[in-house]
Amino acid sequence: MGREQSMKPDYKVLAYVTTNKDRVIASAGVALFATSEKDANEMTVDIAKGLKADVVQLTNGDYMVIRV
Amino acid sequence: MGKQQISSEDITIIIIALIIGTLARLLVLKEDYRQYPSFPNGYLIQVVTGFVAAALGAVAIPALMTKNFVAVTFLTLALQQFRDVRKMEKESLTELENTEYTYRGSAYIDGIAKTFESRNYLAFITALCTSLVITVLPFNLWVNGAIGIVVGITVFYLLKYFTKGKSIGDIAQVKPGKIEVKDSSLYVDGMYVSNLLGTENAAKLVKEEGLAVVIYPNEQHYRINLDNFGQRQAALFEATRALGNKRWNFTRKDYEEGRIIIALVPIKQDIDALIEVVKKCPLLESTKKADEILKPKLKGEK
Repeated sequence: MGREQSMKPDYKVLAYVTTNKDRVIASAGVALFATSEKDANEMTVDIAKGLKADVVQLTNGDYMVIRV
Repeated sequence: MGKQQISSEDITIIIIALIIGTLARLLVLKEDYRQYPSFPNGYLIQVVTGFVAAALGAVAIPALMTKNFVAVTFLTLALQQFRDVRKMEKESLTELENTEYTYRGSAYIDGIAKTFESRNYLAFITALCTSLVITVLPFNLWVNGAIGIVVGITVFYLLKYFTKGKSIGDIAQVKPGKIEVKDSSLYVDGMYVSNLLGTENAAKLVKEEGLAVVIYPNEQHYRINLDNFGQRQAALFEATRALGNKRWNFTRKDYEEGRIIIALVPIKQDIDALIEVVKKCPLLESTKKADEILKPKLKGEK
């Protein structure tokens, strides 16, 4: 994206929700483990609603709650 | 009448020039689809600063003719005042940045502020020319006045023509784009735009209510303007400002063909209005490039 990266919008990762324990690592945002796909989806939606943030679903099925 | 008192002839000259100068400012002060300046406070501020600009232009010549050479300082005063107008606009718009649907961007703010500054010059020069013509012509005051008004109007139209900028519609085609949501990603006319649609609600909302337009540059070199981040941000801002923004707004450029995508979930569902507003979005002065001077002729080349 070149120059755009240094300009607004500024992205912040607020939470990472995964069903794979190996991917729960300490980071700037909250990394949460969900027991099922349904659980992950619900957790993500709730967090996104609460924080007024957007959700990105990764190809591996994990969710990332980000704020633009 | 004392020596320091202004003559009735000078008063007539000043009043005519002042009216023509202020009218010039009023005629370029229009509230269009951009809704700026907002009515009535923004109008009042601009009319008053335009009036002051016209007054400076109208008074300068009669003051010089009465050997009041200190009047030259009026010009520096005018410059300072116009710079303050630009500064005021810039500060005001920058402070509003966080409250809008999306950012105007500093390039667009700079362009708007410059326009407001130049419109004060327009009032000033129109009043100055009117006043100059009435003063130097050898006929009686009323004939001079009539000629001065005609010259003032001509100067106004010439300056207006000279300062008129282009818009996106002059250099590109704007067509509606087809929105698709695959997995959690948004595509417009098959081009990837964003993957922020990670929830079912988001995908559903964009599918049902999202609107998008695609900008096709008429010539390849127009991509220099259109690819500019400030220019795209300005187009996106105008789109959200005109139609409202329920949720999400995106702009994306296609590196291969130079297409630019503007996509959003608007409050007002009107694709024609979206196309029109993007077409009318002004080309920013900071992105303007003259293609001709980008092709320098080397020695020996014809």
